[in-house]
Amino acid sequence: MPELAARLLSALGPEAVRSAPEDLAAYAYDAYSEDGLPSAAVIPRDAREVAIAVRIARECGEPVVPRGAGTGLCGGAIPVRGGLVISFARMNRILELDVRNRRARVQPGLINLDLSRAIARHGIFYAPDPSSQKISTIGGNVGTNAGGPHCLSYGTTTNHVLAIEYVDDDGEVRSTSLDDIGYDLTGALVGSEGTLGVITAVDVRLMRLPEAVRVCVAAFPDVESASEAVSAIIGAGIVPTALEIMDKLIVSAVEAHYHAGYPTESGAVLLVEVAGASDDMDASESAIAQIARAHGALSWRAARDAAERDALWASRKGAAGAMGRIAPNYYIQDACVPRTKLPQVMNAIDAISAEYHIPVGNVFHAGDGNLHPLLIFDRRDARQVAAVVEAGTAILKTCVAMGGTISGEHGIGYEKRETLSMVFSTDDLATMGRVRDVFDPARLFNPDKIFPTGAMCGEVAQPPSAA
Amino acid sequence: MIETAPLRFDDLALDLQRVDEFGLGGRTPTLAVAPHDTAALAAVQRRANDAGFGVVVFGGATMQALGNAPTRYDVAISLARLTRVLAYEPRDLTIAVEAGMSVATLSATLAQAGQFVPLDAPRAATATVGGTLAAGWRGPRRTTYGSSRDLVIGTEAILADGTHAHAGGMVVKNVTGYDVGKLYIGSLGTLGTLVRVNFKCLPLPPVRRIAIAPLSDENRERALAHLAALAIEPTCALLVRGFDAATPDVKSDDPRLFVLFEGSDAVVERATRDLRSALGAAGIPSTTIVDRNPEHAFARVLDAYIDTLGGRSITFRSTGLPSTVLDRCALADEVARDFVLRLDTIVDLRSGDLTLRFVAPKKNAFVQIAATLAGDLRERLVPCTILAGDAAARSGIDAWGSQPPAMAAMRSLKSRFDERATLAPGRFVGGI
Repeated sequence: MPELAARLLSALGPEAVRSAPEDLAAYAYDAYSEDGLPSAAVIPRDAREVAIAVRIARECGEPVVPRGAGTGLCGGAIPVRGGLVISFARMNRILELDVRNRRARVQPGLINLDLSRAIARHGIFYAPDPSSQKISTIGGNVGTNAGGPHCLSYGTTTNHVLAIEYVDDDGEVRSTSLDDIGYDLTGALVGSEGTLGVITAVDVRLMRLPEAVRVCVAAFPDVESASEAVSAIIGAGIVPTALEIMDKLIVSAVEAHYHAGYPTESGAVLLVEVAGASDDMDASESAIAQIARAHGALSWRAARDAAERDALWASRKGAAGAMGRIAPNYYIQDACVPRTKLPQVMNAIDAISAEYHIPVGNVFHAGDGNLHPLLIFDRRDARQVAAVVEAGTAILKTCVAMGGTISGEHGIGYEKRETLSMVFSTDDLATMGRVRDVFDPARLFNPDKIFPTGAMCGEVAQPPSAA
Repeated sequence: MIETAPLRFDDLALDLQRVDEFGLGGRTPTLAVAPHDTAALAAVQRRANDAGFGVVVFGGATMQALGNAPTRYDVAISLARLTRVLAYEPRDLTIAVEAGMSVATLSATLAQAGQFVPLDAPRAATATVGGTLAAGWRGPRRTTYGSSRDLVIGTEAILADGTHAHAGGMVVKNVTGYDVGKLYIGSLGTLGTLVRVNFKCLPLPPVRRIAIAPLSDENRERALAHLAALAIEPTCALLVRGFDAATPDVKSDDPRLFVLFEGSDAVVERATRDLRSALGAAGIPSTTIVDRNPEHAFARVLDAYIDTLGGRSITFRSTGLPSTVLDRCALADEVARDFVLRLDTIVDLRSGDLTLRFVAPKKNAFVQIAATLAGDLRERLVPCTILAGDAAARSGIDAWGSQPPAMAAMRSLKSRFDERATLAPGRFVGGI
């Protein structure tokens, strides 16, 4: 048995430690296409056990990779250099609920949706709602600054994290809060994808449930006209709680699976949600419907009741899964552009799809300019695999050229680290390296993630000389 | 000629400024400059850094009271020439501006397109975007809209060694690399100088309405319970005591409830109706509605936060949970009684922020007592930082008063970003 596993076993016991190869296989992958076997996995019960595990891994010189539900699409949870995986499957509780102050302290392994479900009876909810929310964890969401359809009006995870408890590179439990004086370390930890420390608790902001919610569906002849409508809605100063587009390919997959009642004949569907005071519902809906019609909407329909609303949302959030019905494999991209560029970028994606002979389905957070092209392929065909990778990169380049960026909400992880320099200069990356120097000078927290090879060593990341 | 041995700046695009306009904590710099562009600003910082000089950056100086006096202060850099809009496409609901732009100019620019960025800066005509962010200002609408850290989507900063460092971008969702921009916000310029800031914008609410009602001690608790139960939440709800200039429409010795509603006509109408009946049920007879120029009425309240009454006061800020804010206020009252000082307060009912202005009858009254006052206050309230006060009144008080749990990481961050402690040396928490 390797030293790491042996020491973990002796410190934490067999309940908490996995070291047999057949057990470790479960911790080798996430929702990205590659994998890497760790030397050991730990399933701690509390922050103290996390701290012990981190300390032992450090002493053994082994990397530490935190793992939530493993739903990450960019390989952020893959132990590409082996080492220790820390799974938060057992740290999945709400530690404190403070209804009066609308905040909760939760463990990182808590499933996103479980939080909102547990607190709904108090009339409050946790706003960030990635499509994976039925299974993804708050800790993972914090790691990638996860978004979701409702970010349009509520903001992303970083706007809902008030404090973080984490284990640092010395294996000490630390805390940082927005109410502390000093630098906003909380803000720096969110979205750092496990590279700065291992999060052991999160204080989240909760919001009051809206008094009224209305969900509407509009059919459009094509994605471009639906995108034009979205740009026009935002441009008119209307910010609904969600504006989502699905193209025909996606809608047909979703309908075959969920039967939620989306129109399957049209080229694209726009899902609109408005929420707030009941007095505003009619006026908001009619203003948005009018803009939609002016941009070629073929139909407009409001969900009649909560059940229909929930069905529309459930199928929208299940869209990627439903693709399994029609595609052997798909590769989901994540990029973000300024909202006025949406129609242009959708045209460009069509052209890329044609050029590389890769069918593309589009399901995305249109209101935020956050794209999710699904590139459909068969991994048994090497030509298709190569074409998918090239088409994906071409899409990212197009988005960057339009003033956008290469990840809106999934993170950079392992997948996109070499493309980070499309967006940032060497100086920009070296500045991020300075932050890493503070938290993890040895680069043992989730190594080989986020940053391009070589961007964090050599002259750009010298440790400071003694002052 | 623009030069000071061993620094030469005469090859750079900048204006020389009068140094006496940049005094800070009783110190005056040797040189004050206003660079015309970010390249010149970066060159000034780099040369000062190489020479071992201390640099303090100035926006509108409305919140320079926040930090301690600099331990070294040779060069002042004014952002007065960096005031341009760099990119604004209203249909994207994003804007990029230079950090020296005043908050009022930003608001006016956005208002032309029916948009706003709710920074809620006091003295907005003077306060700059960069200064407001560096100060980490958190205004009274932050529970509704978020504070500056939530509204910024991209930054360009010049580090002490002249490095141009970008983070974020011009899109509203972004998880591309570390969110380094958050670190500059609230850093008081100690990690880098913000020169460009990208914001996400919001559509201006069609209607704004302010309601003000005096609450006596007897009916306060009931009134606040009714307020908390309102179906439509106000975007800001304050309990203001003293600070007479804040609400000239309503004069009262009792604390005044100050509520702002923003939204559609229908929603604001209903909110006002509900509020009136809620307060009526709590025994509050008169609610004053400010419909004319609510922006001005709101700005008067914002200005009050940093009004020092010509040097007769020191203002502290205590942060904590909303549920504890009234108790914290009561603890501060004990201190005011002990020192026989008037205490003006702004209780932010939604965020829990508590603003405490101790007022003395005479300008020099604090000289003897300031340190003891701060000490007594901080025995009860942690954290409790200085928000406003003349240098003379607050000399001898540490601006921060306590250290956060992550102090060691913060020191390390400072040394990694500004190894020679060039930027605002000694001004920040823990002597950073």
